[in-house]
Amino acid sequence: MEFKDYYKLLGVKPDADAKAIKTAYRKLARQYHPDVNSDDGAEDKFKEVAEAYEVLKNAERRAEYDELRRYGGRQQGFDQGHGRQGRQSSGNGQFEDDFADFFRSAFSHRGDRSGGFQGYSDFQQSAARGQDVEVELPVFLEDIIADVQKPIEYRMPAFVNGQVTEVKKSLKVKIPKGVSDGGRVRLKGQGAPGQGDAPNGDLYLHIRIVPHPIFDVEGHNLLITVPIAPWEAALGAKVNLPTLTGKISLTVPPNSQSGQKMRIKGKGLPMKNGVGDLYVIFKIVIPAQTNEASKALWQSLSDLSAFDPRTEWEKNNV
Amino acid sequence: MSDIVLKVSLQELCVQEGITETMLIEVVEHGIVEPYEGQDSDEWMFELSSVHWMKKAIRLYHDLDIDWVSIAIVIDLLKQKDALLRENECLKKQLERFVSDTADIRWK
Repeated sequence: MEFKDYYKLLGVKPDADAKAIKTAYRKLARQYHPDVNSDDGAEDKFKEVAEAYEVLKNAERRAEYDELRRYGGRQQGFDQGHGRQGRQSSGNGQFEDDFADFFRSAFSHRGDRSGGFQGYSDFQQSAARGQDVEVELPVFLEDIIADVQKPIEYRMPAFVNGQVTEVKKSLKVKIPKGVSDGGRVRLKGQGAPGQGDAPNGDLYLHIRIVPHPIFDVEGHNLLITVPIAPWEAALGAKVNLPTLTGKISLTVPPNSQSGQKMRIKGKGLPMKNGVGDLYVIFKIVIPAQTNEASKALWQSLSDLSAFDPRTEWEKNNV
Repeated sequence: MSDIVLKVSLQELCVQEGITETMLIEVVEHGIVEPYEGQDSDEWMFELSSVHWMKKAIRLYHDLDIDWVSIAIVIDLLKQKDALLRENECLKKQLERFVSDTADIRWK
């Protein structure tokens, strides 16, 4: 086991008092705690800092650690000075064994509560229950409404021959009705195995809907942008509108504006009681190329019309 | 196929998180999570999103050594941040659908 300089990890001097150690820990913990910092590496950094504090906050453990630290430092100096490769590795090996023993004894009082750090006295004893596992599950929009079982694969910690190791597990899950983007599902007993007869932890799935090429999701409502030609916007039109359950005929009302919304009831995602709605947003699209005949028609429209779309500017003296 | 659960009772949550009922009631009293249903504490049922925030709150309580009032504020801000991020993501996607086809026209 690799020796870690806990003082360096906390950024304090080896003779720092308990108060300075606590202050340093609190500052780093606030900065790196995985519940407030989602950056890559923050969780590992927090674990290191918490490990250092776990030892240094307790006078007895700190003294024991200081002893080992001195031992480790001298060993390194001695070996480096003599450059005897064979002795050096065996020396460090012995030291590292000692550190591993120390580490095990320092942390043996800890329970095995899921997520974060364990072993608090005001906690009930639930030491042997397996850890809960949280997994993000990307789901296609179509899967939410279909009656299909979604295969998932995840990793979780498990005790194998007395060592904590990571195991892979696969399952099939049916997304329950009413669960939408950001929803959570709990699968009892599918988390990390408990020790001995203790129950397994649970698996928590965090449902994330994969971006869809046509539909956007807002809660249980769906949104679709419908491109329409300027004359369709002006005169009204019938459009074949895709929905999750097939095409429907949509009537574009005359004088529709770009960005205007229309609600189509019951064509959204299923909820516990009922179904969400589909919102249509019109987007007026001008043809990329115009032929002479069209141009002439636009021109006569322009000559005829007294419409000024920028009256707001004049009112505001812009 | 295992049991899919969408709600958790107070007692089950205590066992699962290894906390006392008193502590869980305190978390609720500080408004960190709200029971989904149930009048008295022994009838309380929690939604899974509440379980997620409760786990976070308990971790922060122990790891940062701060009081429940501060944790309630942190959790509230984290919830707001999550909601804003999600709203922003959704609006961005909608905006892209609206403007992405338009080529940039340079002003000469």
